[in-house]
Amino acid sequence: MPETTAPSPELYSASPDGIPKLNGGLCPTCSYVFFPPQSYGCEICGAPGDALQPFALKGEGALRSFATVHLHPGKGIEAPFTVGVILLDDGPAVRAILAQKTDAGLKIGDRMHAAIIRTVSDEGGAGANELRFVRKESGK
Amino acid sequence: MKKTLRELRPVRVVGIGLHKYQHLSDTTYVTLGLTAVRAALDDAGIEWPAVESAYTGTALIGMAASRPMLRHLGATGIAMAQVENASASGSTAFRQACLEVASGISDVALAIGVDKPAMVNGAPGKTRIRDLVGARVAPFTHFALLANEYMNRYGVSTEQVAQVAVKNNRNGANNPFAQRQRAVTLEEVMAGPAISGTLTRLQCCPVGEGAAAVIVASDDAIEKLKINRARAIRTTASVSRSERVYRGAKNSDAELTRETVAQAYEEAGVGPKDLDLIELHDAFTIEELLYVEAMGLCGEGEGAAMIGGGTTDIGGRCAISASGGLLAMGHPIGPTGAGQIVEITRQLRGEAGARQQPNAKIGLAHMVGVGAVCVVHILRKDA
Repeated sequence: MPETTAPSPELYSASPDGIPKLNGGLCPTCSYVFFPPQSYGCEICGAPGDALQPFALKGEGALRSFATVHLHPGKGIEAPFTVGVILLDDGPAVRAILAQKTDAGLKIGDRMHAAIIRTVSDEGGAGANELRFVRKESGK
Repeated sequence: MKKTLRELRPVRVVGIGLHKYQHLSDTTYVTLGLTAVRAALDDAGIEWPAVESAYTGTALIGMAASRPMLRHLGATGIAMAQVENASASGSTAFRQACLEVASGISDVALAIGVDKPAMVNGAPGKTRIRDLVGARVAPFTHFALLANEYMNRYGVSTEQVAQVAVKNNRNGANNPFAQRQRAVTLEEVMAGPAISGTLTRLQCCPVGEGAAAVIVASDDAIEKLKINRARAIRTTASVSRSERVYRGAKNSDAELTRETVAQAYEEAGVGPKDLDLIELHDAFTIEELLYVEAMGLCGEGEGAAMIGGGTTDIGGRCAISASGGLLAMGHPIGPTGAGQIVEITRQLRGEAGARQQPNAKIGLAHMVGVGAVCVVHILRKDA
């Protein structure tokens, strides 16, 4: 199975405005913007990995879909938790874990922003800093 | 110049066989596979030495599955290889067997799918490309996310999505090879347990063990081996594609199916209105709605109403998942795609008993696999 619950700090960076940026990628040959970052080669035009550039994506967008996972067979993954698809204002759609455990109050179209949150680990031990998406309060 | 399958010499399904799809048991994969192959040989009325080549669709058993199984039919020295294409492994084994016979390299070829559940570390998890969710998003959550988006966009209810499981379990109740053979009510489907989003347990396919075997032959072999030609069903299209980047598209799963099926229609010279039955990748209820629309059976967002109206029931305009589909017949991975060919062949012969789609002449088989890939075949009676 792929990496599971460990934080992936290489995927995001803190930002002075308080909303973390996602570390995406840009292909200068065809202008394709992508997330997550990779350095193997461009999925659109085949430009080699060393041609690809880092491209910071603002951690803000609209909620395209969400699902609360009620049961999960993975070791060390504790349900419930809620996954969202966020269409970033900067282009790509990303899947992320939401700060809220259940989908209470969520609606498709809600404005969302990234946040670095100190989590409690699923094993109940010391937490870690992880990226979560948070619903913006209405009217903001 | 390149040619489509239909422009090569005809290739026909002449023998089909299954081992029941079931929960993991002590039965070896050898027994599962041999049961299906012997049934297919009996069905064709031929002996094992007539088979010149074998492709084994399997994803979970491990390296080198074919000969330790097939030698027990008599070690005839034929070509053998495993075909791994995730959930489309059995479909791809069938495609390879068809291509080999159509090209003229062999006259009789076997495609068998066989698997037993096992924890396998798939290659997509070894790329070291990490994302924000990792293993927290299992396939059922991928499709739960698509279900929520679909319901919201088209104003479709959770019950309308869940009804797919009611239909497919009703069909599976008449299939003695199905893992789930019990009709269920909408209330039972909705009652849960909830797995992810609005998807409940009965809206997710069971992954067990089993085997499915298909023997294909050329017209030369049908004549020489005195195979009953009236029961032989021609493969008129075989298309295999992989996902592109669909920029701006709502749903890459639907787009991959849309373009793969469109190519198969073109190669077979048919359209969605010509299909009498479809076996599709209904691993989760929402997939059936997405794919019937991508296949052009109805417009965008109309799938739920079409399925609820009985159009895709056995006896309707186009029966979908008459076998029970992945939701009821089951999804043992390697066998699943080959098992779809078994069902379509049985239906086109008019030998499907209680779940017979009346006057079925053209059927389409559709599988997708993680990665993502899509494999589609069209079979036709009297072609």
